[in-house]
Amino acid sequence: MKHALWFFSFSLFLFSGDRLAGYFLQKQIEKSQFRYSRLYSGEAGADILLLGNSRGLTFYQPYIEEITGKKTCNLSYNGLPMDGAKALTLDYLDRYPAPQKMILDITMCDRENDELLAGFLTYSGKSNHLDTLINNKLPKVWWGGRVSALFRYNNEIFQRALFHRNKTDKDWLLDRAIAPQLAAEVRSNSYDLEIHPYLIAQLKEIVAVARVKGVAVELVISPYFPDFQVKNLDSLKNAVEQATGLTVRDYRSALSDPADFGDFMHANKKGSLKYIDLLKRDGVIP
Amino acid sequence: MVFNSVTFLIFIALFFPFYFATKGRLRTWICLIASYIFYGWWDWRFLSLILFSTVLDWWFGVWLTYKDAPEETRDRWQNGSPVLQFFGKITEAADRLHLSRKAILVSSMAMNLGFLGFFKYFNFFADNFAALVSSFGLTPSWTTLNIILPVGISFYTFQSMSYTIDVYRRQIAWEPSLLRFATFIALFPQLVAGPIVRAADFLFQMQDDKRFSWTNFNSGFGRVLWGFFKKVAVADSLAPFVDQVFDSPQSFGSLHLLIGVFFYSFQIYCDFSGYSDIAIGLARMMGYNFPENFRTPYFSKSFSEFWTRWHISLSSWLRDYLYIPLGGNRHGKWATYKNNMLTMLLGGLWHGANWAFVFWGFLHGLYLILQRAIAPVWRRFVRVIRLPKVADDVVAMATVYSLTLLAWIFFRSGSIGLAGGDSFATANQILVGIASLEGFGFEAVVNKFQVVKGVLLIGILLVVEVTNVRFRWNVWQVRNPVWRMAAFAGLLWLIAFFGTFGANAFIYFQF
Repeated sequence: MKHALWFFSFSLFLFSGDRLAGYFLQKQIEKSQFRYSRLYSGEAGADILLLGNSRGLTFYQPYIEEITGKKTCNLSYNGLPMDGAKALTLDYLDRYPAPQKMILDITMCDRENDELLAGFLTYSGKSNHLDTLINNKLPKVWWGGRVSALFRYNNEIFQRALFHRNKTDKDWLLDRAIAPQLAAEVRSNSYDLEIHPYLIAQLKEIVAVARVKGVAVELVISPYFPDFQVKNLDSLKNAVEQATGLTVRDYRSALSDPADFGDFMHANKKGSLKYIDLLKRDGVIP
Repeated sequence: MVFNSVTFLIFIALFFPFYFATKGRLRTWICLIASYIFYGWWDWRFLSLILFSTVLDWWFGVWLTYKDAPEETRDRWQNGSPVLQFFGKITEAADRLHLSRKAILVSSMAMNLGFLGFFKYFNFFADNFAALVSSFGLTPSWTTLNIILPVGISFYTFQSMSYTIDVYRRQIAWEPSLLRFATFIALFPQLVAGPIVRAADFLFQMQDDKRFSWTNFNSGFGRVLWGFFKKVAVADSLAPFVDQVFDSPQSFGSLHLLIGVFFYSFQIYCDFSGYSDIAIGLARMMGYNFPENFRTPYFSKSFSEFWTRWHISLSSWLRDYLYIPLGGNRHGKWATYKNNMLTMLLGGLWHGANWAFVFWGFLHGLYLILQRAIAPVWRRFVRVIRLPKVADDVVAMATVYSLTLLAWIFFRSGSIGLAGGDSFATANQILVGIASLEGFGFEAVVNKFQVVKGVLLIGILLVVEVTNVRFRWNVWQVRNPVWRMAAFAGLLWLIAFFGTFGANAFIYFQF
């Protein structure tokens, strides 16, 4: 009898503690300045919506806002796949007036990233689109979030939200200089892009919804390190253009100075500013 | 079937009711069948090897005992089970070969080491032999075989060998029941990655039925939860950062590399000791006591102490069955150095067929030798400068830990599964990268969130393990139901909040 009582008390204590902790953590991210916290708390309204993976961080918001005088919202995240981008885009369009322009880096069609999608469990309570995506793709993760409130915050996205609790993330950028010895090895390195019809279909849906809402969509390929070989990039570009009917703006070789890059795949702050100037020159940015 | 998987949780949930609902031979059969199901889940083909090895070693034990006391042993098998009677007849027939006890032991060791050598080292030695022959200008036509390494072979082989060696030495009596012996070898908590349980420490525990006890169950369960925290929350959280560093060290700055190596020291500790905790905890829940396998090894003040705290079951095995028979430290300074080095080289090779592992063993052998050589000089220096004991201990711990880190760089490079040359190249890149001090600021560290999380988890681990030496938390939770509630809930919350749930394999499974 005493063991049964202990077990009952333990279960109650375990469950209550988990829910209380989850409630406390939820309150912390609601107050955060992180991009997704602002998205779901009504503070992300913008004229220009930006989406990409880690290469999307080169859409450096402070500079774009400075040269355009317009408000921006960058929903990019390291490794963000196109299906995650679609859920975020739909959430944005459900909550805010349509932006004037939406700029997406098509390399989000490269790979699926279930590990990152699992991290969006943190916000799935605020978003039917994210909740459905996670439930469909990662049912075990979804159920884990139902069983344990703490589990919903077991990810890097929550950690970033906590980091940005009182600190803006608009200037988030991978800002470092590529090591000279790594730069010298560019010809012996390459990256194999994967073509995922499923992710291209997600991009097609984003474009379709944006058109209905009257949003002008620009598809781009952000810069790569000079002479860095990215296999299948042309195939991806052609597949995207065919699926969406839009021309992809190709800036892969737009920056020729190695000092503009942090590594082979990512421009640093110096490179980002030059890239944004090119986007402005070409009318991609209004 | 890994411990950190839903399949295993279901397996355990089914196993324990059957285990406690039965007794005697039926219970032993349940343990054996469950253990074979657990092992066969990896690959059913592995079962034939462990079965064959088990039966043969058990029979060698029968034969060794027969050589000592033929009448008594014959009486025993004539009154024993049909299996024992059958093997008794085989023993009588084999004994017509008039082999000595030593020859029987050598046969057992040759079989065990033969299997281990074939499955684990055939391609390694074949490749190296081919390379050696090529260096003389010859072109050998040599095929390496596509050999699958049976999971846990290094562990159960050593366990089985300890039985025949101890019977040969007359340190333990033979085990008349093949069923009990097979269960001892295959018992699932320790089968795949240890601890290497000696027959002398365990067979006697199987003589009587273990009744269900809440004390054992709570003590064991607490240990299992702690093991899961170490594996699922700490080790698996550190793994991505470590993998990045060892996959492309040239991409990172000095501090990033150093953090990666530091994290690896805790990843391997938590992964391996976490597995041991789970194994020891499960055994405790069943009513058995397994030996401890780790004792806060990074607080060692010397390398000889380190090897009484790290992978204790393997180091004590090597000490009792290799180092001491070689002569230990009984034949002078140079013989001791030779025995230290040989033991550590073979200890390195035990981990895998890669020169990086052998080099890791070499480094630890070198550390033991240097420690013996330098210790008297250091003691005199400490007395002369009147260094306080605390400072002496801190310097000693820092030195042992730093040199252990250095050796881990080679160990981890070898674990990538690269050929020897590539492993050394990786280790070299990391060492050069750290020594260059380029990018030594925190701003040059990539994935700072992983660093913060890793440091936090290591902090929790160290606080609990260091204070446990004084407060014995596991004893508290057994005695105090409120503390037990808090401890179990706290660990489950930590696992939910920090854990990685990809059913990642344990590092030592590859050995």
